[in-house]
Amino acid sequence: MSAPTTTAAAIFNRSTPAKRVEQGAFWLLRLATYFVLLSAATIFIDIGWKGGRVVFQKQAPFINVPFLTEAPETLSVFEFDGKKMALGDRAFRQFSAAHEEKMKHVAVETYAYSAGGIFPNIVGTVLLVFGSITIALVLGVLSAVYLSEYATDGPFIRFLRLSIVNLAGVPSIVFGLFGAGLFVLTFKFGMSLLSGWLTLAFMVLPIIITASEEALKAVPKGYREGSLALGATKFQAITTNVLPYALPGILTSSVLAIARVAGETAPIMFTAAFVMRDELPWQGLSKWTDFFFQGVMALPYHIYNVASKIPQNEYTRDVQYGTVFVFLFTVAAIAMTAVILRQRLRKKYKW
Amino acid sequence: MPASTDTPSLPRLATREVLLRKRRGWFFGLSGDQFVKYVFQGNAAISIIVLALITLTIFKDAVGFLPQNHQNLRIYRLAGLEYVDLFREQVTAHSTMSRYLASVRAQRLDLLLNKEGLAPAAAMTRLADFDAFANQFADTINEQETLLGTMTDLTTNLKERQKVAEDLVEAKRNYLDAIPGAPPERAAMLQTKADVIHPEVIDFKGEIQPLLAMRPEIAAANARQMAALKALLAQAPKFTDADLNRRMEKLQGFVSDYFQEVEAVVPKMAAWDQTKPVGWLESFNAFAFGREWITASFWQDWYGILPLFAGSLLIAVIALCIAIPLGVASAIYVSQVARPIEQKFIKPYIEFISAIPSVVLGFFGIAMLGETLRRVSQMPSLSWVPGFPMSERLNATTAACLLALLAIPTIFSLAEDALNNVPRSFKEASLALGATRLQTMVRIIVPAALSGIVAAILLGFGRVIGETMVVLLCAGNRIAIPNLGAGLGVIFQPVHTMTGIIAQEMGEVPHYSLHYRALFMVGVVLFLISLLVNWLAQKIVRRYRIVAT
Repeated sequence: MSAPTTTAAAIFNRSTPAKRVEQGAFWLLRLATYFVLLSAATIFIDIGWKGGRVVFQKQAPFINVPFLTEAPETLSVFEFDGKKMALGDRAFRQFSAAHEEKMKHVAVETYAYSAGGIFPNIVGTVLLVFGSITIALVLGVLSAVYLSEYATDGPFIRFLRLSIVNLAGVPSIVFGLFGAGLFVLTFKFGMSLLSGWLTLAFMVLPIIITASEEALKAVPKGYREGSLALGATKFQAITTNVLPYALPGILTSSVLAIARVAGETAPIMFTAAFVMRDELPWQGLSKWTDFFFQGVMALPYHIYNVASKIPQNEYTRDVQYGTVFVFLFTVAAIAMTAVILRQRLRKKYKW
Repeated sequence: MPASTDTPSLPRLATREVLLRKRRGWFFGLSGDQFVKYVFQGNAAISIIVLALITLTIFKDAVGFLPQNHQNLRIYRLAGLEYVDLFREQVTAHSTMSRYLASVRAQRLDLLLNKEGLAPAAAMTRLADFDAFANQFADTINEQETLLGTMTDLTTNLKERQKVAEDLVEAKRNYLDAIPGAPPERAAMLQTKADVIHPEVIDFKGEIQPLLAMRPEIAAANARQMAALKALLAQAPKFTDADLNRRMEKLQGFVSDYFQEVEAVVPKMAAWDQTKPVGWLESFNAFAFGREWITASFWQDWYGILPLFAGSLLIAVIALCIAIPLGVASAIYVSQVARPIEQKFIKPYIEFISAIPSVVLGFFGIAMLGETLRRVSQMPSLSWVPGFPMSERLNATTAACLLALLAIPTIFSLAEDALNNVPRSFKEASLALGATRLQTMVRIIVPAALSGIVAAILLGFGRVIGETMVVLLCAGNRIAIPNLGAGLGVIFQPVHTMTGIIAQEMGEVPHYSLHYRALFMVGVVLFLISLLVNWLAQKIVRRYRIVAT
């Protein structure tokens, strides 16, 4: 039996107390990291599983179309001829008209919002997102162009940057108060799309400015200089040689802002969102400007209502999980697009 | 001959001057480029304007709180509500003792049923003499309660009249204000309408005389009550159980404390001064240090921020206790330990977590987490944990767990940036000196990135304290200062938060009322906290930044 030969590998792989401690510490860190990932996955799986069963079905159109295309209704639950019945508003009225005599003595429990679908909420959220992102993009990109192309360091710029950073830290509920105080009450817009748009736009403004500035700064200096050397004015240089190359970056980052706008509830609670509204936004308008001055139903606010205002039981679970499923996976899809786009963009543009 | 020498040469500008000459008169005397620049600049200023508008709006609506609350407190004193509350304290103290007796009874019943194995009926007969004692004890307060009822009716009536009078004054002023711009006949109509209104001017001093006159009656009632209590305690029932006897002896202590309080009540009421002016500071202190948030009450509304602030702080602290270790650990792991393929997957994943809308997390808390946590807390093997089993499904910890998940991405991203920004040479130097990777991490990299990590934690704190939907849905919404007497169990108490109260009550308050303004005051506090957190974070980053040379 000869002693094992001492090679570099043998020395390097030898287990020493220091190495064992190191490995232990690394495992702790690894555990913490994967615990975070697992917790988030639990939420996705729970909602994906329970909500997926509401939104998707085994039979032919495979998607629960009424849930996505109807308005929320009140669900009435009662026992009839020994059978448990659960009917939505309209069906219940027809049913009780048909069985008028028998229905007199039937005890009916009602659950708000638990029947029908969530179509108006989806429409409202889409409108809110489109409007506010448009406003925020215009304001944000112009601000970012100024910051990256024109600004020279000075008190104004320092103050500007301070404002942007602080604006990003203001809690969303304070934006809600601000919107309610300024747009709804002082400007008398009322609970309306316009109030909601402005509130949400100002909320995401710092995100868009920061992201757009980064995208603009990533465009190489040579592009601007080349353009200026050929006699273009600064404005021409920006529009022809800077903005087009920064645009993908700006748009990618604004996708994240879309996810943020779609996901926020607090700012629209007192500025734009109605608990219940019978008409869709394009119905019953006496003149076109009315469109901007109407409140809408919105998905996040609907989730808040179905989570807190109605009891949790087998009749309400479907609408709760279904709404959350639609909402979470829409927002997640948007956010995922942003993350993937950003990664591809990093690869594509290497200056 | 060259002709050119004869012709007078045209006045020529220097080439340089021609090229650099400003083209004036495009827009308002600005060149195109300058104009464009100002457009951009104006746009950039929008951020400043928005921040200024936010500050202006919420401060404007909040400032009115002070005079309105001042008036609120003034009426509280003038109408004698404060005077009645002095007496009410005594009655409340008595009912606390009655509740204590009830808890002793419950303990005794539990002993009889479970330890001695008596049938319920037999246990009840064993408890009969205790019940008789407890009933007699409770009866000793009857006289005081009757008196208190009379006083309450008197003062609430007075307050109601004052409110009606104030509303009439307001209505009259509205009519009178509308007159100047109105056409003559309408003005005349408004004038007559205003003239009809005669708001009552209440003589508070005279009105509360009957209240003050009740003092001797109260003193007499108190003397009778004390005598009755003394007699009653002398024949208090004795138990066989040592623990119960100890609790009964404690009652003696409570009663003697109560006697002191009772003796102090009448002199306090005598010293009470209706005409003492309410200071402006008092109006502010009632908000900043008020321990009660009571709204829409028939008696007196209090807007004290302490219970809400304490609730927010408690939740934030618990959330950070969870989020800091996890967030920082995963940042260290991803930046120092993880293999590239892990990095590529974990970073976007955690960024992606931050996109989960908070209302969805709140829903998850209500639908799943709260119930799961409660089930866990009910496991017998865990009963040693303070606060277990949880009494409420939705409490500070339920909310904090979810908030931690919101704060982790913030902490992670910023801390990871800070770790990655540590100059490579630091790490290399340490490794070259023979330090292990762990030693390098703990002694070199983490300390070098510490300022960034602290800033990340601060911003995580800002995120947690400003979060609304999760706490609104999952914190239990009980407006009370968390009871620290419960030890660590305090973290399982339901609380209410600053953000939650705004979201819950803002939709229902009348505009520009005292309550509305109180909510804006809470908003101001939140706004200031967010500014402070931001400022601190920036200061720390700037102060302790390490620059590789």
